Amino acid sequence: MNASPATDRRPDKSSTRTRSAKDFDTLYRDHVDLMYRFAHRLCGEAETAKDLVQETFLNAYRGLDRFRGDAQISTWLYTIASRACLRMRRKRKGAPERELSLEEFIPTSDGEFRLQIPIDGLSPEAALHNKQLREALDTAINQLPKKYKMVLVLRDMEGVSAKEVGTIMGLNERAVKSRLHRARLFVRRQLSARGLGEPLTDHDHTPVRKRRSASHGTREHL
Amino acid sequence: MARGNTSKRQRPSAPTQRKQAHGKAHCLRILRQLSAYIDDELSGDICDEIRRHLGACPNCETFVTSLRQTVSLCRHSPSPTLSAASRALMRKTILETTPVP
Repeated sequence: MNASPATDRRPDKSSTRTRSAKDFDTLYRDHVDLMYRFAHRLCGEAETAKDLVQETFLNAYRGLDRFRGDAQISTWLYTIASRACLRMRRKRKGAPERELSLEEFIPTSDGEFRLQIPIDGLSPEAALHNKQLREALDTAINQLPKKYKMVLVLRDMEGVSAKEVGTIMGLNERAVKSRLHRARLFVRRQLSARGLGEPLTDHDHTPVRKRRSASHGTREHL
Repeated sequence: MARGNTSKRQRPSAPTQRKQAHGKAHCLRILRQLSAYIDDELSGDICDEIRRHLGACPNCETFVTSLRQTVSLCRHSPSPTLSAASRALMRKTILETTPVP
């Protein structure tokens, strides 16, 4: 698994309380890759991700002396990044935030129930060699309303525990799990409905989607 | 003769009977709990109940497989990485923006 869990270094309190360039350098060196990965997954592209990382470390640097060392430093940074991300996105385009209801994911037919993710017995690593699948996954995640995306990214991609996600997002664990379930259902539906229901190839194969939509509903009946 | 036939007809087909007894409402109740099931957060009793349902309901079985695959793909999706140049540039910008006290 290449999405290694968050680095869980508990910093020496005395070193983090002193607001100095040296402390900042340590913080930055140890966590910038983690934060970039998180930011990239949240933003979906490199330039915005860099802006977010910069904003995160700027805020962290300014607040370094207020960090009390009673939480993991990665949790603290994830919290700063999540808040910065919400601010940035609001400023940029005011992306419509919507609630995902469970009802919208309830299959209404056997065919919908049985939509599959076409990885045909491949391991996830092998399946993700396929560009089409990777792009479909990225697109599905990017289409999630942000508060659901944050939970999915933290929990299923960054490997953060539900409790910690709750701390980062100011939610109780139950709310975290509820959002996570909806986010997964959303991504599942997007992936299985995107016309990837044919054997994977290593190149883009545009007719697939058309072919699939034509056969949709009959191919998968019971 | 015919009477014996009809009364016995349903007995051997336990899976069918179970499926009918479950119905859609049961599928929906299961669907609500599938993430918790995948994450192994449910009590043994509920897990057993879900397992029994999945064994008898191909729809839900397929559904849970695809949900598991979704989670698995998320977990294994490639990690974006930052170039050394970008790392250094950002550091410089941050330190310049916030001077050392």
